[in-house]
Amino acid sequence: MLDISDLVTAYGKIDALKGVSLQVETGKITCLLGPNGAGKTTLMMTIAGLLHPRRGSIRLAGTELVGLSPARIVAHGIALVPENRLVFPQMSVRENLLAGAYQRNDKVSIDADLKRMYALFPRLNERTEQLAGTLSGGEQQMLAVARALMSRPRVLLMDEPSLGLAPLVVTEIFNIVRDLNRDGTTIFLVEQNAHMALQVAHRFLLMEQGRITFRGMPGQLAEDEVIQRAYLGTRRAAG
Amino acid sequence: MDDYLIGVLSNIGVISFVALSAYLLLLTGEISFGQQAFFAIGAYAAGIATALWGWSLAAALVWGAAVSGGAALLVGVPTLRLHGLYFAIATLAFAEMVRILFELFRYQISIDGELIGPNGTDGFRNIRYIFDHNIDAFQFLLLIYSLLAAAMLGLLLLERSRLGVIFRMIGQDETLAELQGIPVARRKVLAAGIAGTLAGIGGGLYAHLTTYVEPRIFDIMLGVHSLAYGLIGGLGTAFGPLLGVLIDIGLLESIRALAGYRMIIFGGLVALLLIVRPRGLLDEMVVHKIGRGWRRVSLWARRSSLKPRGNSA
Amino acid sequence: MIDLVQNTLDGVMIGSSYGLLALGFTLIFGVMRRLDLAYGPSIMIGGYFGTVLYLYYGAGPLAVASAVVLGAVIAGIYVERLCFAPMKAGAAIASMVSSFAIWMQLEQAAILVLPRHTYPFPPLATVAPLEFGPFLVRVDHLIMLVCALALAAAVHLALYHTRFGLALRAIIGSPVAAHLVGINVRTAVLLTFAGASAVGGAAGFLVLAVDQQVTPMFGMWATLKGLIAMMIGGLGSVPGAVVGGLLLGIVEVNSQWYFGPQIRDLVAYVVLFAFLVVRPRGLLGRAPEPAMPPKA
Repeated sequence: MLDISDLVTAYGKIDALKGVSLQVETGKITCLLGPNGAGKTTLMMTIAGLLHPRRGSIRLAGTELVGLSPARIVAHGIALVPENRLVFPQMSVRENLLAGAYQRNDKVSIDADLKRMYALFPRLNERTEQLAGTLSGGEQQMLAVARALMSRPRVLLMDEPSLGLAPLVVTEIFNIVRDLNRDGTTIFLVEQNAHMALQVAHRFLLMEQGRITFRGMPGQLAEDEVIQRAYLGTRRAAG
Repeated sequence: MDDYLIGVLSNIGVISFVALSAYLLLLTGEISFGQQAFFAIGAYAAGIATALWGWSLAAALVWGAAVSGGAALLVGVPTLRLHGLYFAIATLAFAEMVRILFELFRYQISIDGELIGPNGTDGFRNIRYIFDHNIDAFQFLLLIYSLLAAAMLGLLLLERSRLGVIFRMIGQDETLAELQGIPVARRKVLAAGIAGTLAGIGGGLYAHLTTYVEPRIFDIMLGVHSLAYGLIGGLGTAFGPLLGVLIDIGLLESIRALAGYRMIIFGGLVALLLIVRPRGLLDEMVVHKIGRGWRRVSLWARRSSLKPRGNSA
Repeated sequence: MIDLVQNTLDGVMIGSSYGLLALGFTLIFGVMRRLDLAYGPSIMIGGYFGTVLYLYYGAGPLAVASAVVLGAVIAGIYVERLCFAPMKAGAAIASMVSSFAIWMQLEQAAILVLPRHTYPFPPLATVAPLEFGPFLVRVDHLIMLVCALALAAAVHLALYHTRFGLALRAIIGSPVAAHLVGINVRTAVLLTFAGASAVGGAAGFLVLAVDQQVTPMFGMWATLKGLIAMMIGGLGSVPGAVVGGLLLGIVEVNSQWYFGPQIRDLVAYVVLFAFLVVRPRGLLGRAPEPAMPPKA
């Protein structure tokens, strides 16, 4: 579904992504793990169009996404749940969700999707008119996911959904991720919490210092080695 | 040197002080639209010292610098918690308050039958010190530039010193600086104080140069101009704001034919320049490259002068 | 006591146009996180369009108002294209200084084209003031108040009941997230500038018509009033802009009545400074942290 090839994104003179290639298979959950600063968020931002790569290609079902504006990329079917949630704080839960459907104008099915989100995320249903800025971390995360889903994306990108959340809430979130995937959504997930991520992933990749250093399936690497490399990087894991 | 040129150069010299004042604050990451307030305070204080109290010029300039520096420290404290735009607008409000206060300020004494001193909106005339003491325009020009050179030297030394690095660190990321153990609040107040003092020296010089000051001069225009000079000339070095002043006053003053269109041209040029160079002409990258180039040249010069008689290492 | 009430009445009416000015300012700040110092001067350009129409073609108030709005919008788009659109994310001060440079440019351009110190503006009403017991209400002031309230209501409607308004509020809330939900932020910002300039133009027309004149100093005046009202009411807050404007108007008229014009200006700045030191978010604004532009 998503085919990324030799992607290079730089900040000034520093290459954050040094030639990343990977594939996200349709209907599967692909998980990207790696230590802080490896470039995971940079990759997500590049796919979403917020950053422009120096080189490389990102194809969604054959269509080239590099060079398109973020709005066009959303139109093609990508939705990113960003790191730090980034809900619209002064807008209600309902308005946040409607904003997620910004590019759609089929009012009837938007309303249907709204109801679907409330069913999927009961905690949001209890707070439809509450200002998003006053929600708890976990509720904001759910809102961010629901908002992304309102655009009916072909690929859902998630950047560190467990960040800053209590363990119980994290489990809830990952259950939702699994459920969404069962309903057919392709998911590309970036995580620091390797343990939880490996429980849901069909395939996983390891990114260190802007490069993919491992691709495979959960179980191919011993979980503690994965965790070591995800948090610390290969050098220290080997040493 | 003809009088007109002396006049223009004197102007450039004096305005440079306010430009450097705004620049110093910019280094710590704060925008100030209000340095003209300290320029005004320095001008009035120094003028009162010579014209009303009979002090010497040197003492008056020190007095002016001290009063404006003190005022800057006083204002620096309540505005500490403010950042970015909020701080900028606070400086603007403060400067306007000062200007209006000078419009209401009357302090006149009778000297030789004449009323001398600040008279509200009418301003403060007869700051005649340099005429009374037979200092000609050229000598005063030299005084301005010696003081400016001293200030520049101070700033350049500061930039290389630990304090200078600390200021730039605060400008980049205050939280990070705090985490490094830097007493950010105290350093920022210090920067504000130094900046105020600089503007105050300029103000004292200005008052004696023109012999007449009025509140109208110290308006927002002057404040934003001072900020703009640093931004045009470049924020990488203390020479940046000087370059900005030179470009504005020097270049455009001399193209008399375009006088009526000066702001139209200058305004447009500044806007275009800032698109490609948001940190000015001599921004940090350029200064760094000049530094590198200079080091290469001096290394080459040293190597060639060290060449021994033989070919051995 | 009567004076106080009369002044407060007058203050509310004058303050309504301050509120409109603040409204435009706050919309621009909300979506850009940057201050447009050329806002007032853009409105002044609109004012000059209006006076030309009035002076040379004898147009009536409605036509003049449209000219003012049109001129303000054209100038506003010019400023946006030159000072804000091309700037990279971190160049907040560069944008502000750039807008200041264009302020000077617009002011001088206006003086070149129309060199006199003041130009006439058609009045809003020529009937005698209305009397309500001991209080006098000028009809043109009343028209100004009604128009300002209607405009503010229109802006509120647009913000909360249109798709574009949703996009605007999204950008104000989080520019990054706005991109991520598929909003075309660049276009939205441009349209916001145009809209804010139009609102400013309307406010400008009302003030100029009450004053019956336009001068080149109007630009700075409008910027300052809008700025002070916006900060008092709360940066980025639409109801705050209106409240701030009304409060400023009341404070100003009373200060002028009891202490004269200089104290009037002084009090406005003191109030602003006091708010900034004690409660920077203003009356109705959000806490400063998330809404700030990046430093230097």
